[in-house]
Amino acid sequence: MAIVQAILDGILIGGVYAVISIGLTLVYGVMGIINFAHAEFLMIGMFAAYFAWALLGIDPILAAPLAFATAFVLGWLVQRFLIQRVLAAPSVAQIFLTVGLLIVLENGALLLFGSQFRSVNTPYQTMSLSLGPLFVSVPYLAAFVLSLLSGLALWQFMRRSWLGRAMRATAQNRNAALLMGIDADRMYALAFALGVGLTAFGGAIILPYMTASPTVGGQFVILMFTVVVLGGLGNVLGAVVGGLAVGTIQSLSSLAFPIQLQNLVLFVIFILMLALRPEGLVGSRR
Amino acid sequence: MKRALWIGLFAVAAVLPLLLDPRGYWIRVLTLTLLFAAMAQAWNIVGGLANQISLGHAAFFGVGAYASTILLVTYGLTPWIGLVVGAGLAAVAALVIAVPTMRLQGHYFALATLAFGEVMRVVANTWASLTGGPVGISVPFLPPNPLMYSFKTGLPHAYIALGALALVTLLFEGLRRSALGYRLRAIREHEPAAEVIGIDATRVKLIATVISAAAMGALGTVYAQLALFFDPDTIFGVAPISIRVALIAIVGGIGTAVGPILGALLVIPVEELANDVLSGKAPGLSQLVYGVVLIAVILWRPRGLVTFFTARRTAKPRAPGLVPEGQRTTP
Amino acid sequence: MTAILAVDGVSKRFGGLQAIADVSFALAAGEIVGLIGPNGAGKTTLFNLLVGLERPDAGAITLDGSAVAGLKPHRIAARGMTKTFQNVALFSEMSVLDNVLTAGLLRHSVAEARDLARRCLERVGLSAIEASPAGELSFPERARVELARALCTEPKVLLLDEVMAALNTAEMAGVLGLIRRLRDEAGLTLLVVEHHMRAVMSVSDRILVLNFGRLIADGTPAVVARDPEVVHAYLGAPYEAA
Repeated sequence: MAIVQAILDGILIGGVYAVISIGLTLVYGVMGIINFAHAEFLMIGMFAAYFAWALLGIDPILAAPLAFATAFVLGWLVQRFLIQRVLAAPSVAQIFLTVGLLIVLENGALLLFGSQFRSVNTPYQTMSLSLGPLFVSVPYLAAFVLSLLSGLALWQFMRRSWLGRAMRATAQNRNAALLMGIDADRMYALAFALGVGLTAFGGAIILPYMTASPTVGGQFVILMFTVVVLGGLGNVLGAVVGGLAVGTIQSLSSLAFPIQLQNLVLFVIFILMLALRPEGLVGSRR
Repeated sequence: MKRALWIGLFAVAAVLPLLLDPRGYWIRVLTLTLLFAAMAQAWNIVGGLANQISLGHAAFFGVGAYASTILLVTYGLTPWIGLVVGAGLAAVAALVIAVPTMRLQGHYFALATLAFGEVMRVVANTWASLTGGPVGISVPFLPPNPLMYSFKTGLPHAYIALGALALVTLLFEGLRRSALGYRLRAIREHEPAAEVIGIDATRVKLIATVISAAAMGALGTVYAQLALFFDPDTIFGVAPISIRVALIAIVGGIGTAVGPILGALLVIPVEELANDVLSGKAPGLSQLVYGVVLIAVILWRPRGLVTFFTARRTAKPRAPGLVPEGQRTTP
Repeated sequence: MTAILAVDGVSKRFGGLQAIADVSFALAAGEIVGLIGPNGAGKTTLFNLLVGLERPDAGAITLDGSAVAGLKPHRIAARGMTKTFQNVALFSEMSVLDNVLTAGLLRHSVAEARDLARRCLERVGLSAIEASPAGELSFPERARVELARALCTEPKVLLLDEVMAALNTAEMAGVLGLIRRLRDEAGLTLLVVEHHMRAVMSVSDRILVLNFGRLIADGTPAVVARDPEVVHAYLGAPYEAA
């Protein structure tokens, strides 16, 4: 029964991991770069939601769109003024630009907000519903539902809206997209802003059960990359599969291993995936 | 002309330690600068010559440091031999991570090495019976004995670091001019063309990685004997080691022999100074500046500081318009 | 005929596109064979399959008796087959000499490769510019350097992909003469992709015609020029081999 509970928790958490990581895979899929600073936007989303709660009394879950918007704007600026300039440069420049961004964001937050951990107090934080013999934690459930909704919204956007299709076109063939009158650079900015926005959104909705600190990004980096690699870099649907998988694996391994080794399990899976099946569980070999 | 500059530089570096207080603060800064320059040069072999960006070089560094220290603690084995063992183990570690990932593109390899470094850190933190765990491990205090790598003052450490830098730099240059160097340069410029003229890209990059790792492992021992104490978060750390050595090489001039040296001369003393001046007053400020400098270098001097001294025109990265057929934006 | 290169039933598909469909032909040692066809017919893909940059989905490729289909490019180069790139793929930051030298490293030490490289550059007539950075040359010069580089691997079979693009008549004559000399003096077998009809018809012993991934003709220039399917697909009107 503990196993079933762990699987349930894993799925709930996994849905959130999917939303957090979808942006990372979207950026790679459209722009071809790996944003090493992506997890820092999670931290930004968390802080945005935290301050909305601390200063304005808004529940973090309701503040999630605000977190999204904050990161969206910041992401757009970062892409336009920094990342755009290295897209034609060798990968060493691209890698270290985002690494530099990671350092700047994390330490900027440290400087601005200090290193203390901050948590919120919400009425539903410790509530849980009963599902037969199983417990469903309310904050987990709320986060999961919102993840589902935002995931569906993204899916609709990508499939149905003109912008979504333009973005996909740019991802598949930049030259053709340009020739069709699509402003490819703007698509890149949109993809990046959307990607980090979603991650920040994820940060906000998990605030009820996590603590915010400038270094929280570091906790999620390998996790996000594992999700994305499991699903295949660039594969948005794969990120969903990857998220659920990682959530479940993490939850199950917490039954057997102490916290340090839980991360190890993820790391090893990550490396094995890269080595053996870089296109992910869901992807097809290019 | 160039050779004269190098000899002059070496002469200055050889004399400098003698002018400093052998038990003082500045000789330690000099030693660390030389050591990090050597580490960056080791990274330069795989990051500069082979164009494979490793974000996990700390893994090799830590393996070397732990290997020699554990052997010393457990068997009383002299760190000089421990150094060789550490280098060998680091080479093995390189094979383990590189063989499956070498054929992957740049970003994937960076990710894999990042994860590998973190794996080593977690393993070191967890396997306390071997490594002492998160508390760290101390190099046992021994009476001064050069054969056991134990010295009274900081002076020998400075010269060992200088010697290490000289050796790794000679290794770098030697590789660059060798057949391997030609092959690596060809792969960097146009991998498919290199392959059709008979270059086994995977094997060649692998060899460079193993050599780089071995050098890094040896330097781990040098660090261990200098610092006399370290823990997993320091020795396997992404920021303190992996990113820092790459940053030094890039800021100075990736792929050049003098780059890591220039980079270390800028980064290490400034860092030490910043830590002294700011210590505790503004947590994160020195690191923030670090990050800003890195971004600035990438955007405006991607070939590094060395370009201030060479007249070569470098191609500026431009925003992509139409990209050549079959490419994503990454060349 | 003892074929030095035998291609048997080779196919390659990219997603929904059948790029090469069941292609079979053979080259005898010392032949100069032209490969022509409309754009998109699959000529470069065929070359990539032969040198190992792509793996065939089906079929066999035999080079001087050994099976090479699906091998990695460096192994195929070691066995004696290499190609030049359509848009020229030089190592721009290296000197001309170093570009060619690197190819010699396949079978020689650096010093020996340097001598061999100089001889290859002499053969293509570029000895004078051996120290120039490859990126600063004109397109025809770069094409010649790439040819010299390919030669430096000491191949048995050399695949040339549009080495005469952007050349004027005089330059073209020079390259044609070079191709003939490579066969006559160095004993190479050459497969040449070209769009200049006069050029390829004049230098080739045989012509292969590719259309939509299929081989639609295989014969002497005179025969192929009159083949109705070739005319319909590519030449436009019955072509008088000048």
